[in-house]
Amino acid sequence: MTPRVSPDRIVSTVCPYCGVGCRVDLYVKDEKIYRVMAQEGPPNYGALCVKGRFGLGFLHHPDRLKTPLIRRRKGAELEPAGWDKALDFAASRLARIAAESGPDALYFVSSAKATNEENYLMQKLARAAVGTHNVDHCARLCHSSSTAALSRSLGSAAMSNTLEEIGLSDVILVAGSNTIETHPVVGARIKKAAREGAFLIVADPRRVGLAEVADLWLRLRPGTDAVLFGAMARHLVDAGRFDRGFVERRAEGFEEWWQSARAYTLEFAEETTGVPAARIREAAERYADARAAASYWAMGITQHAHGTENVQALINLAVVAGQLGKPGAGLNPLRGQNNVQGAGDMGALPNVYPGYQPVSDRHVRKRWKALWHVRQPETPGLTMTEAFESIGAANGVRAVYLMGEDPITSEPYQDHVRAALEKLDLLIVQDILRNETFPYADVVLPAASFAEKHGTFTNTDRRVQRIRPVFKPPGEARPDGWITAQLGRRLAQLLKRGWSEAWNYAGPEEVWEEVRLVLPETFGGIGYDRLEREDLRWPCPHERSPGVSVLFTDGFYTPSKKARLLPAPWRPPAEEPSDEFPLVLSTGRVLYHWHGGVLSRRSALSQAYPELKVEVNPADAARYGVRDGQKVWLTSRRGRIRATAWVTDRAPEGVVFAPIHFAEQPANRLTLDAYDPTSKIPEYKFAAVRLEPANDVTPEAAGPG
Amino acid sequence: MSKVSLVVDGYLVQAEPGETLLDAARRAGVEVPTLCFHERTGTRGLCRLCVVEVEGWGRPVPACATEAQPNLVVRTETEALAALRRVVLELLALETDLSHDAGTQTLLKRYAAHPQRWSAPLADRREREPVHDNPFFVRDYAKCYTCRRCIDACGEGVQGVWAYGTTGRGHAAVPGTPLDLPLPETPCVFCGNCLQVCPTGALVPLEELSLAEGGLS
Repeated sequence: MTPRVSPDRIVSTVCPYCGVGCRVDLYVKDEKIYRVMAQEGPPNYGALCVKGRFGLGFLHHPDRLKTPLIRRRKGAELEPAGWDKALDFAASRLARIAAESGPDALYFVSSAKATNEENYLMQKLARAAVGTHNVDHCARLCHSSSTAALSRSLGSAAMSNTLEEIGLSDVILVAGSNTIETHPVVGARIKKAAREGAFLIVADPRRVGLAEVADLWLRLRPGTDAVLFGAMARHLVDAGRFDRGFVERRAEGFEEWWQSARAYTLEFAEETTGVPAARIREAAERYADARAAASYWAMGITQHAHGTENVQALINLAVVAGQLGKPGAGLNPLRGQNNVQGAGDMGALPNVYPGYQPVSDRHVRKRWKALWHVRQPETPGLTMTEAFESIGAANGVRAVYLMGEDPITSEPYQDHVRAALEKLDLLIVQDILRNETFPYADVVLPAASFAEKHGTFTNTDRRVQRIRPVFKPPGEARPDGWITAQLGRRLAQLLKRGWSEAWNYAGPEEVWEEVRLVLPETFGGIGYDRLEREDLRWPCPHERSPGVSVLFTDGFYTPSKKARLLPAPWRPPAEEPSDEFPLVLSTGRVLYHWHGGVLSRRSALSQAYPELKVEVNPADAARYGVRDGQKVWLTSRRGRIRATAWVTDRAPEGVVFAPIHFAEQPANRLTLDAYDPTSKIPEYKFAAVRLEPANDVTPEAAGPG
Repeated sequence: MSKVSLVVDGYLVQAEPGETLLDAARRAGVEVPTLCFHERTGTRGLCRLCVVEVEGWGRPVPACATEAQPNLVVRTETEALAALRRVVLELLALETDLSHDAGTQTLLKRYAAHPQRWSAPLADRREREPVHDNPFFVRDYAKCYTCRRCIDACGEGVQGVWAYGTTGRGHAAVPGTPLDLPLPETPCVFCGNCLQVCPTGALVPLEELSLAEGGLS
C-alpha cells in the first residue's frame, strides 16, 4: 500500500487516549496528520480503535491554547502576557499564599495525560520547592480504589500480568469493564480469546459488548460486587475447591477473612445481587479450576463509595483460588488514561513518593531530603477530592495549580465544584485546550500536546514507551515539564527551599535520568537509548533485564512476602432510589469519546456521536412515557440535564446510564459527593434520579429541578 | 512433538508441526511472493500468487495454505510457476486500479507481466464509485482485488464485529456491508483495522483523500 499522499515525515509515537498505549505511526503532510497506522508489535499488534485512528483532529483545533494569560484581579479579564511575566505572577501569588497560610494551602493537580517526566516534576515542585505533599491526579477518580486495595494486599498496584497473556488464559473474568468501548483493542483480543476457547465470565449490570459474547454473564445489581466476589470466594472454601496450598504458603489473614466472609452464602448473594446462585457457583468453580484464570476490571467496581471493598473482594477471590503469579492469570486493573500508570509511578500522589515509597516513613523522607537538599513535610497531603471539599474552609486549600484536568466536568456534584472554584484565591490552569474550567482561571499557561514534545508514557501493563514530537507546539505553548520546572525554580527561590539549580534540566531525558537514579530497582534498566531499540516494562532493574512480565511468581511485595486476605464487607450505596428519584443513575464512557470530551469532541469523532444519549430500559421507558429518540430530562437532587433517550435492554430495569463526555449536559451535575473512606473515590456509578420526557424547547441544563 | 523435515529449493528445513510451506520457505530464507496472505487476519489461499510445486503432487499448491509435511520436496521458483504467477498478476491488474499498490506493481515487473495481452481493463470494476458513508474513511473499491483481508480483520481475525462480508460473485465480488447499508448502520466501530491491512489503498482515510484531491471532501 502506498498512501495517496506522500508523507513529509512519519513519526513513531504512542496514542494519547486510553491506557492500552497503542503504538502508532503518524503520517504528516503540510503539518497535518492525515493517516494513523498501528505498529505491528505489542501492545496493540497492528490494531487501533476509532479514537487513536481518526480522533487526533483536536491537535489542530482553534481552541488550542497558545498564549499565557493573567487575570490581575478577581473580576478582571484574562489578558495576554509573556512567559516570564505569567510565571513570575503565578509564582509570586503562590508564594504569598504559602507564606500567609502555610504550604498546605497550595494544591497541585498533576495529569495522567502528561508524561512520566512531567509528573515527576509536578510532585517535586510540591515536595521540594513548596514543602507540601498536596499533590494528586485523576486516578483518584478512577482506580484509587484498586491501588488502595492492591497496595495493602499485594504490595503492588499495577497489572500483575501483561496484555500479551490474554491468549494464555483458560478463564477470563471481566468485572465492571465495558472493555469493547473503553479499551477497544483489548476488548477485541478478549473477544477473540473467547472465540478460541477461553471461558469468558462477565460481571456487569449492563449488557455491554463483552456480556453479549460471554459464556457466563453475571447480571448483578449495581453496587453489589463485593457480595458477588465474596460469595464466590466463600463458596470455593466451603466446597473445598480453593487453592489450599497457595493459601497456606503464600497468603496470610485467612482466618480473619473467613470469619468476615461467612455471611456471604450463595443464597445471600442471589438475594442481594439478583444473580442466580447456580451461576455464581459455576463462575467460582470455573475460575478456580482453570489452569490460568485472569481478572480484568475497571470503573464498574471501583467508582463506588465502597469501591475499595469491591476490589478487595476480587483480590481475595484471586488469592483463595491461587490465580496469581503465573502466565495467563493475575489481577489486572485496566487503566484508563495514556499515562495514569506513570503518574502514580512518579509519585503524583499525596501519600507516596515516586516508586510508591510512603511519605509517612521517616527513612524514605530522609532519602528524598538528601536528593533534593530540602526538608520534607511529614504529614501526607490531601487527596484531590478532599482538597476540593476543603476550599473555603478555615485551613482549606486556597490555591490550585491544575495541569491537564477539567474538574468542572470530571468531579462529582458539579455545582459544588463551581462554588469551590469560585472561592479559590488562585487557580492556575495549564492545558492544551480550553475547557469548562478555563473561565475560573487566574493564570492560563498554554501547554504542548503529546505530539509536540519528548518524554515517556507508561501504559496499563507497565510498559514504558517513548513519545516523540510530530509538530512544534502552537503559538507560545511549551511542554508541561518546562513550565513546571520554571515555576519550580522560581518557587524554590521565593520560598528559600533547596537549590534553584535543581530545576535546570536540559530536557525530559535528564529528568528521566533522575528518576532512574532514585528508583533503580524499578527503572534502572530503562534508559532512552534502550527504549529506542527494545520494548521494556518495569520492574527493570538493570540494562540486561527485559523487565518483569508476570509479577508475584516468587513473593508478593508485602513485608511478609505473602498476599494479605482482608475483610471486604459489602455496604449499600450512599443514595438509594426513592419515590421522588426512583431510578439508579450509572455514568461512564462510550467508544467514540474519551472522558471529559475535551479532546475527542474537537475531532471527527464528534460527528459519529454528537450528543448525549442515555440508555433507558424499555420497561422504564414505558413506565415514564419515554420513546426512543425523544428528548428527556434526567434529574437528581443536585440538578438536571437534558438528553436523548436510547431505549435499549442494555440497561437493566431500574437503571439508566449516562455518558460523561458532554460538558454542556454534564452527567456530573447529577452525581453526588459520596466518597469511599479509604480511596476517596466518588460514587460515580450510583445516584438516584428521575426520568421524564422533555416537552419544553430550552436546550440548557438547569439547576436543581 | 518432533519437527517436520522437508526440502525447499534444495535447502533442508526443520519446520514446527502445523506450519505451512510458506513458513517453511521462510525458515530457509526463501521469500515466496504473496498478496492476500496476512498472519494476523488469518487471510490465506485466495490470490494463488504463492503457488509452489511439490514433487509428486499433480498441481501447484498455495504455500500459505498448505501444511508442511515430512519429506516433501518443494520448489518455489520455476518457469511454470512464474507463468502462473504472471497470469494471476495480469488478471488482477486488469480488474483493479493498482496505482497505490507499489507492492503489486513491483511484482508485475518482476514477472514481466503484460495485462494488455488479455484485454482492456475491466471497466465495471475499475470504474466503481468510491463509497463515502462515514466521517472517517472512504472505500474506493476500484482499487480492490478482493483479497478479503478487510473482511477477515473485521470478522474472525481481529475485531470480531463482522460489519463486512463479500457481496456479488465472480468478477463482481467485492467487500460490502449487509444489504449495502451505510457503515454507520452496521456494527462497524470504525477501528480502521481494515484500512490497516488493505494492500492496495482501496480503504483510505478521508483526511488523506481530501489532501490528495486538494481539499475536496
